[in-house]
Amino acid sequence: MDRKNKSIRVYEASGARLGVVSSLALAGRELYSARHVIWRLFVRDFVAGFRQRLLGYLWVLLAPLLGIASFVFMQQIGVLNPGRTEIPYPIFVYIGTSVWGLLLGAVTNVSGGLIGNADLVIRTSIPKIAFAVTGMATICYGLLVNLAVLLLLLAWFGRPPSAWALLYPLAVLPMLLLGVGFGLFLAVVGAVARDITGMFTTLLGLVMYLTPVVYATDFPNPVLKAITRWNPLTYLVDAPRSLFVLGRVPEPARYAWSSLACVLVLIAGVHAFYLIKDRVAERL
Amino acid sequence: MSARERAIRAEGLSKKFGLSLRQSMKYGLRDVARRLAGRASNSGQLREGEFWAVKDVSFELEQGVALGVMGVNGSGKSTLLRILNGVYAPDAGKVSLRGRVGSLIAAGAGFAPMLSGRENVYVNGCLLGLSPREVTALMDEIVAFAELGQFIDLPVKNYSSGMHVRLGFAIAALSRPDILLMDEILAVGDMNFQKKCFDHILQLKQQGTSIILVSHSPGAIWSVCNRAVFMDRGKVVLDGSAEDVIRAYEDQNARNAMESGEQFDRAQAAHGGSGRQGQLKAQYGHAMGGTGDAVCAAVRLVGWEDGAPKQVFGFAEPIQIEADIEVRSAQEDLLIRYTIDAAHYRFIATLDSYEQGLILPSVRRGNYRLRVSLHQQNFRPGAYTLNVGISRKSVAVHLFYWHNAARFQIEHPKHRFLYSDSNAVMHLDCEFELAQVTVASRF
Repeated sequence: MDRKNKSIRVYEASGARLGVVSSLALAGRELYSARHVIWRLFVRDFVAGFRQRLLGYLWVLLAPLLGIASFVFMQQIGVLNPGRTEIPYPIFVYIGTSVWGLLLGAVTNVSGGLIGNADLVIRTSIPKIAFAVTGMATICYGLLVNLAVLLLLLAWFGRPPSAWALLYPLAVLPMLLLGVGFGLFLAVVGAVARDITGMFTTLLGLVMYLTPVVYATDFPNPVLKAITRWNPLTYLVDAPRSLFVLGRVPEPARYAWSSLACVLVLIAGVHAFYLIKDRVAERL
Repeated sequence: MSARERAIRAEGLSKKFGLSLRQSMKYGLRDVARRLAGRASNSGQLREGEFWAVKDVSFELEQGVALGVMGVNGSGKSTLLRILNGVYAPDAGKVSLRGRVGSLIAAGAGFAPMLSGRENVYVNGCLLGLSPREVTALMDEIVAFAELGQFIDLPVKNYSSGMHVRLGFAIAALSRPDILLMDEILAVGDMNFQKKCFDHILQLKQQGTSIILVSHSPGAIWSVCNRAVFMDRGKVVLDGSAEDVIRAYEDQNARNAMESGEQFDRAQAAHGGSGRQGQLKAQYGHAMGGTGDAVCAAVRLVGWEDGAPKQVFGFAEPIQIEADIEVRSAQEDLLIRYTIDAAHYRFIATLDSYEQGLILPSVRRGNYRLRVSLHQQNFRPGAYTLNVGISRKSVAVHLFYWHNAARFQIEHPKHRFLYSDSNAVMHLDCEFELAQVTVASRF
């Protein structure tokens, strides 16, 4: 055996204090070194999730369509008044719920990554961040499927997508980063106190009604209007939707600031993850 | 031969846990807040409700050397292994590991039941630090080692438990790590597979892999390890040869068995089940009972030389048993008997007054002291209990019986290694001779 070029691993009690830049660099190194594991775990979960199912992979296409059916039904029978939308309501609600789903999916998948893989976390030396982000592969796959369904939906309504639709994945990226940032924080804190993630996702469910996801948030109430206006999620949902269908971004400056906030949340999430992760394994 | 490189160096490793989930969460949240606030950690100190699972463990291990880790349950072996595997961060101390660490703690970890064995080999191989290309290169070897043949393409959920562990072991063992961490893994599969595992471990050692084997099996430690450590309550209390550590481990087991037996006796007596405190039970099935015409008030084992009460005896050390006996009414043809139980067997020996030549045709009312001298006892190391029975030749019921009247332990001898079977209770000295014979002269 080659005894040279052997890496030396050192595990020690709370060594040097980790700075933000060091956390980010460490995350980059660990994600790169664990890339094969992340991919294999994704393939494992994806394939295992669709084997021995009646609808198999078809379910991936059907699920998002069924997801918007209830909103369209409520709108059709007049229970839900989505307000004035420039886009046909089924398309409006489909893109809105898809983008919101990215946030929720990223938060729940990343935050549950350590607890869901607890057996592997306490039996292997794979970097913990790999287990946290492995669920993101499913989210990214879901995004591709959503795009395909969206194109079908636009064709059905005779509304061709704008040329800017190609930037859609980039436009939803801030929302994904936000979800990953929150998810990483919750992955480690939620492993210590298990109900924190549940509380956060419940809160997120309430915030959805202050965000133009299933209806346009042109509230007559001035307080609600102000909250909606200062809610950065408003722009993170509106921008990709308008870009895809109408080819423009309403209030680009606010969208840019919101995106910057998402990046900061991601950095904070990565840093918090690396500060706390050593306290997690024994509490899983 | 050049000096061997150091593969592992552990210095003062410590790890603490909370006793309850609630406390663990409370301290966990407090630690999280401290870290987020950028304050220094106080992880090296014990807080109320915490205990050291591993405390101040230091050792070094050279390339190609196998270290056994023994200790009773809860002694910190698995926690130590998890620290070495990078799963738990130490609360104090430091460990350096040189080269790729393979872990047989993870044998079969992450197996997805719906996926085939082959697909799972990729998942498991990547979890053990191999690249997909390395897994592909090893695939045929893994399939052959695990003896799975065409079943490698069967979903793992249809595997027998033997196939499951064979595949897990094959992936981890064939990944040829520089350091191999194993936790009770050698007892997998049938005898042929176990032999193959031992052969492979030996081969890995010869190729320079350093091994840490955590096991309760003295046989496995003795076979694989060059040296060993014995852990007790998180601390390394002995770092020495595999034989010394096995002796210490088995003595500790026997001591624990004796102590837990005494605790059980006390609990039973407290619940009135024994009848010791009240009226003597005139039925069988209790810890103590009989007609009460003669009773044994106390039994103790004493040292041969000083006559002081003791419970722990050396191998082949003479033992004296003393008993206070009260004969409440005159008895004819009295029989007094001790029986001895081992941990897993009852009545492995009997010491009967009549058999040993003490004929008691008539015993008057009064208090007596019975002394029995065991000059040449040959109990193997372990924990034993002594039962007392008093009866009469002409009456086929017990005047008195007392189960677990006394407990004692025989320790491992320093000068010989009694490793062969922890279930065996008697040692018989004999001479072995091996002579080569021709086929024609066989029986």
